[in-house]
Amino acid sequence: MVLVLAIGDLHIPHRAPDLPAKFKSMLVPGKIQHILCTGNLCIKEVHDYLKSLSPDLHITRGEYDEDVRYPENKTLSIGQFKLGLCHGHQIVPWGDLDSLAMLQRQLDIDILVTGHTHQFKAYKHEGGVIINPGSATGAYSSITYDANPSFVLMDIDGLRVVVYVYELIDGEVKVDKIDFKKTATTQSAH
Amino acid sequence: MNSSPVDASASDASSMPQKRFSNLRSVRWRIDLGVLPSSPPASIDDIRRVTADTRRRYANLRRRLLIDHHSPKYGKASPDLTVDNPLSQNPDSTWGRFFSYAELGKMIDQDLSRLYPEHSGYFHTPICQALLRRILLLWCLQHPEYGYRQGMHELLAPLVYVLHFDLDHLTQVQKLYEDFFSDEFDKISFPEGDFLSSHRIRRVKNWESGIEIENNLHKITNDHSRDELDPDTREMLLLSDSYGAEGELGVILSERFMEHDAYFMFENLMFGDQGVVSMASFFSPVAGSNSNLPPVIEASSALYYLLSIVDSSLHSHLVELEVEPQYFALRWLRVLFGREFCLDDLLVIWDELFYSSNSRYLDNDVEFNFEVLCSPRGAFIAALAVSMLLYVRSLLLATETATTCLQRLLSFPQNPDMKKLIEQAKSLQVLALESNILSSSCQTYSNKNQLTICRGYSLPSASALPKTSLNVIADRYWEEQWRVLHKDEELRKQSNGHLSSSGIMKKILTKRLSFSRTNSEPFEGNNAHALSSVRRRLFDDSSEVIEAAKDHVKSECNESPVISNNLNVGKGFPEELADQRTSNCMVEETFLSGHNALVVSTPTSPHDIGNDHENESEKSSITSNSFLGDNDEETISMEESCSQNKQDEESTNMEEPCCQNLDKQLAQDAEATSSGDVDSIPEQIAAPKDQKPFAGKFQWLWRFGRGSKEENQESKRSQNAGHIQKDGFDISQCDGTYASCGINKRIEVGDKKVMDTIRNLGQSMLEHIQVIETVFQQDKSKFDPLDNLSNNILGGKGQGTAIAALKELRKISSLLREM
Repeated sequence: MVLVLAIGDLHIPHRAPDLPAKFKSMLVPGKIQHILCTGNLCIKEVHDYLKSLSPDLHITRGEYDEDVRYPENKTLSIGQFKLGLCHGHQIVPWGDLDSLAMLQRQLDIDILVTGHTHQFKAYKHEGGVIINPGSATGAYSSITYDANPSFVLMDIDGLRVVVYVYELIDGEVKVDKIDFKKTATTQSAH
Repeated sequence: MNSSPVDASASDASSMPQKRFSNLRSVRWRIDLGVLPSSPPASIDDIRRVTADTRRRYANLRRRLLIDHHSPKYGKASPDLTVDNPLSQNPDSTWGRFFSYAELGKMIDQDLSRLYPEHSGYFHTPICQALLRRILLLWCLQHPEYGYRQGMHELLAPLVYVLHFDLDHLTQVQKLYEDFFSDEFDKISFPEGDFLSSHRIRRVKNWESGIEIENNLHKITNDHSRDELDPDTREMLLLSDSYGAEGELGVILSERFMEHDAYFMFENLMFGDQGVVSMASFFSPVAGSNSNLPPVIEASSALYYLLSIVDSSLHSHLVELEVEPQYFALRWLRVLFGREFCLDDLLVIWDELFYSSNSRYLDNDVEFNFEVLCSPRGAFIAALAVSMLLYVRSLLLATETATTCLQRLLSFPQNPDMKKLIEQAKSLQVLALESNILSSSCQTYSNKNQLTICRGYSLPSASALPKTSLNVIADRYWEEQWRVLHKDEELRKQSNGHLSSSGIMKKILTKRLSFSRTNSEPFEGNNAHALSSVRRRLFDDSSEVIEAAKDHVKSECNESPVISNNLNVGKGFPEELADQRTSNCMVEETFLSGHNALVVSTPTSPHDIGNDHENESEKSSITSNSFLGDNDEETISMEESCSQNKQDEESTNMEEPCCQNLDKQLAQDAEATSSGDVDSIPEQIAAPKDQKPFAGKFQWLWRFGRGSKEENQESKRSQNAGHIQKDGFDISQCDGTYASCGINKRIEVGDKKVMDTIRNLGQSMLEHIQVIETVFQQDKSKFDPLDNLSNNILGGKGQGTAIAALKELRKISSLLREM
């Protein structure tokens, strides 16, 4: 019953003034246990706001982030799952599944969360899950046109993860759900 | 009926035939709380069926409320994700419910971690904590209007403990009589799979039984048949038998269903099983239906009210310090004294508490003071609180500030004498029940009081709660009478100096009598203040009377025999004074000692002295007869002398022989009078206010002897009328005199007054009847025969006053007969 928020690419204040109001009303403190932020916040105020939603905040560095101390990659373990976080601009071609899978193998994780493309994607790949939460503000991207604001909420419960996708389409919040089940822990190849 | 012993857990069932399952607290409590049927005699099978039903209900509830929202709901289409997502604001969504459960759970966990740290070995095991948590969570979810409040866990914990305790007891019995209980054949045991079995000895039963075969000390062999078991064990067998009605689900002492049972015990405790006292209402800040206060505040005021009746000095002290009852009573009431006593003592208290029924015993249209006192259980709670206050009475009275007082209250002594506490609580319980009822005549008064009470005792006027409502009526009535008579006295003052003053004397006498009559009214507690004040008034009056008489007599007599008599008088008066005083002291003693004393309400009449034994009344009647006899002679001689002497001297003469009689009377009664508190007498000698002649009743005799002077007679009539209604005995005595004198002139004298007299007599009869009624109302439910006389102070006093009132009635009726 652990709720993990995956969010990123807000580009505040450069490309967007703020989160959409509807998203803001949904994100109330106390419900979410962890936040994985892919990067490009860009300023400290956004960092503080996210910190207020949950005490456990993990951020990786995006190319426009003003705080240079964020790491490039991050891994953490929640429940039975190993999660990994990266902004994604380091992985070329941007948004390519196979390249991201390489990173997943490299970090030895079950769930990889990346961003940069400003487009929501969720792949089930080689016993793992690769998730791209998109841009929470729907900020301009040179590789995606008409990006809708979106973010992802993961409900990790034992060996099962339910991914809720929240998208703001035409002013309405649309929710979608994807179920992933982890097979019995496999031997990690080292 | 109420003779259940204090410690029920250890005693044999046979010692209390009316209390079933006395050694199995959990079953007993379940019956008392209403979970199991109590209508006697419910058979074991019935009980098992009800148990099974309740358990099914709980299982359903649990399944329904602790849903697993991951499992797909059959028959429900794909859930509407806009509603059912975790971030949904919609409270109806499964996630919304999940989050509210999580919040409640957090609160409950916080409390549970602090539960009974001294018994942490039991209460802090994860199994127990999970059990408690689940029960509380389910109850709160089932009753969202109450939510979870701190303290509910402390109500639940002893219930679970008691269930577990009985299960332990069961295992011990099972060990002892294992052949009857076990399902074992060929020494192979079937695993139960109970979660608590790791804590129990049963696992190692085989091993231990192997050893016991050699010892054979306690083991019962197979030779015994089931019928040879003692009834307790047989009962246990039936209660734990898996093959009885409803099979496994019906096993009354079952480990597997401990949670279910505890849930329903808790539920019934919280809601009082449709009774008056529901603990849940104590937790809610919502105002109750009857008053404008939250029930717990009202209950706190109820206990202060009870305290004011029982011990007004402590009550006024607490009010003075501005210690509002809810400061400490909140904790006491909300966890039913769970924080004040250790667990074992608490179990004993709860035994008693649950044994008192919770059903409202008043009809709907009867007005009452406090909602909480409407049931025996509520009354017991209030009574126990008051007895706890009385237990630390001296500590509390020694405190100077509110904070120290509260400190002492909140740290109740560790090992109190439980037996004493509970006995006292039981006696106060009845008192509480009685005092809750308002009689119709005192409606407004009590309502007014209720308002002051409900203002939370912040007003000092609340502390001035008087004894009973009847006292108020009595006071007002007698005061009125006195005022009426006093007016006459004023009138007469102008007309006839001497005689009116004698009338005044009579008024003083009657006033004194009236106050003494107030004395005999029933009052509920050791209301020393009022009593002493009344007594002081009596003393003052009597001192006035005696002093005035002394002076008067001294000033007015001029004949040598008179003088000699006067000396007698002079001697007699102090004696009389002493006599009066002692009689009053006797009154005091009687009330304080609480014997079944005859408190006769006319201590002024020299023969009617408060005595300890009923036969003394006969003695007094005998003496009165002798007095009559004396009076005969005196009257005759008086007549002769009267016809000769002037009016003034006659009255004097009247008094002298009467005083002589008094002397004789005193001599006769000297031995009868126990020399009470003669020490208090010297202080009482106050300066007389007026010069009033003594013994107004002798005026009556004088009048008869004289048979003349209309205006005097007029005044006398009114005096006598007033006199009659107060002093029935004197009337009868005077009447006897009248009859014995054989003077028939009296008839026309008395005729007009007869009507008035009869009216007044009727009224006083009514008063006495009311007195008796109230006394016996108090006595009726708490009449303990013989054994508890010493404890039953109130009963004794009540009986004494009732008997006094009866005597008065008898006198009045005899008087009426003669008229």
